[in-house]
Amino acid sequence: MNRLGRFLKSFFLVDILQGLWVTLRIYFSPKVTVQYPEQIKEPAPRFRGILRLHRDERGEPLCIACKACQRACGTNCFDIEGKKGEGAKVMRPVKFDWTLERCSFCGFCVEVCPTNAIRFSREFRLTGLDRAGLLFDLPDMYLAGEDLQKHLCAGCRRGG
Amino acid sequence: MTPFVAEFLIPLGKIAAVILYPMVMVVVMIWLERRVVALMQGRLGPNRVGFQGVLQPVADAVKLFFKEDIMQRRADKLLFNISPVLVMFSSLLAFCFVPLGEPIRIGTYTLTLWIAESPVGLLIVLGLSSISVFGVIFGGWASNSKYPLMGALRSVVQVLSYEIPIGLTVLTVAFVARSMDLVEIVRRQESSGVWHGFLMPVSFVVFWISAVAETNRAPFDLPEAESELVAGYHTEYSGMKFAYFYMAEYAHMVLVSSLVVILFFGGWLPPFPSVKALSFVHVVPGFIWYLIKIMFFLYLYVWIRATFPRYRFDSLIRLVWKWLIPLSLVNFLAVALLGYLR
Repeated sequence: MNRLGRFLKSFFLVDILQGLWVTLRIYFSPKVTVQYPEQIKEPAPRFRGILRLHRDERGEPLCIACKACQRACGTNCFDIEGKKGEGAKVMRPVKFDWTLERCSFCGFCVEVCPTNAIRFSREFRLTGLDRAGLLFDLPDMYLAGEDLQKHLCAGCRRGG
Repeated sequence: MTPFVAEFLIPLGKIAAVILYPMVMVVVMIWLERRVVALMQGRLGPNRVGFQGVLQPVADAVKLFFKEDIMQRRADKLLFNISPVLVMFSSLLAFCFVPLGEPIRIGTYTLTLWIAESPVGLLIVLGLSSISVFGVIFGGWASNSKYPLMGALRSVVQVLSYEIPIGLTVLTVAFVARSMDLVEIVRRQESSGVWHGFLMPVSFVVFWISAVAETNRAPFDLPEAESELVAGYHTEYSGMKFAYFYMAEYAHMVLVSSLVVILFFGGWLPPFPSVKALSFVHVVPGFIWYLIKIMFFLYLYVWIRATFPRYRFDSLIRLVWKWLIPLSLVNFLAVALLGYLR
């Protein structure tokens, strides 16, 4: 009986029809593909995007130019110089160069920062057309959103 | 109507149509296949070039036009150049015998929607579709390379084996219709009122399985098994020569689908012709019914490809010699016996 059952099952193409049914179900199921430039999937909160410097709630920079990040950095991304202004209590950076092309997004600088000034953003669009766009100086470190994209793409419009 | 129009312009137009119609179907098929397979695999597929990616085949063709035409140094140059043409030509030529619809009457002139009607049309179409295997063999051999040769050898064994059940099932149709004329077979289905596919479901299933194998389509695509043979018999081809093989495969699929529709599903005939409530089926021209039917079978090709993994070579041969050939023989005897008793 079992052999006869198997014979009938293969003779009437039962497995074949079952297989076709499976693909037909998937054919009509919703697709999870994100159509990138039109739809953008928000990255996770802990996503390691481009590095940003932050200010406190009064607009004062948080960075005190302690160079802890520069020492912690494994790939020498940073070139920082600090200066204590007249009558100021803390140092402020006067030069803060960061090269995106060398960064490996290891997060040591973020971990080591005593004032929580340098943090990962969730910006994942890090493409530029030349190296100039990948070099960030002090004002550039505060850019975000479309301004950041313009900075990364600085080389795109240079020719035209 | 002047003789110039009737005897020169109209045949010329028909010839153009017979070349253009498979080509247009090929373009549609390339897009359809990529989209449908993608959707069945949970992806979206090409949807950027044109509306929903309909211009993707055009983009592919433009790319292939600009590709370098590479010729192997030790290849057999004549056969290497001939074989893509041979494959394409055999599929296109067979379309001359495929009736696309009811003859159209314009005044005293009758415009037939086929180029040639022959009392042995069925044999000619089967013969021409078998010629394409020569293109595959020549291409594989002339490349002077291991993988194409392996692909060509597999193709020979496969196509020759699967020709037998095709022949036996086609014989049942010819037996029931008492004709080998493709137009006459459709007419018989009209007058008897039942399509051969419902009259002889075994013939239809065996024919369809063998037809998928004969066109070297998945799950029987061993001659071009990517995981084993790179690209099979057309590994060494590039540019437009490769495109010829590629397009010929789809043209062959269109041809086989047309054959299935004509032999088993009434060609251009509308479904349910006698049901009064569905009388609108007569308003739609026969050519549209024919297109709808072949689109279903072309879709089935893609559907099967998206569903089943490739057969191993020994199970492929076992399937045809131990299952399909005995089954089609028994089926033929049964049809002959029932036909005799009636």
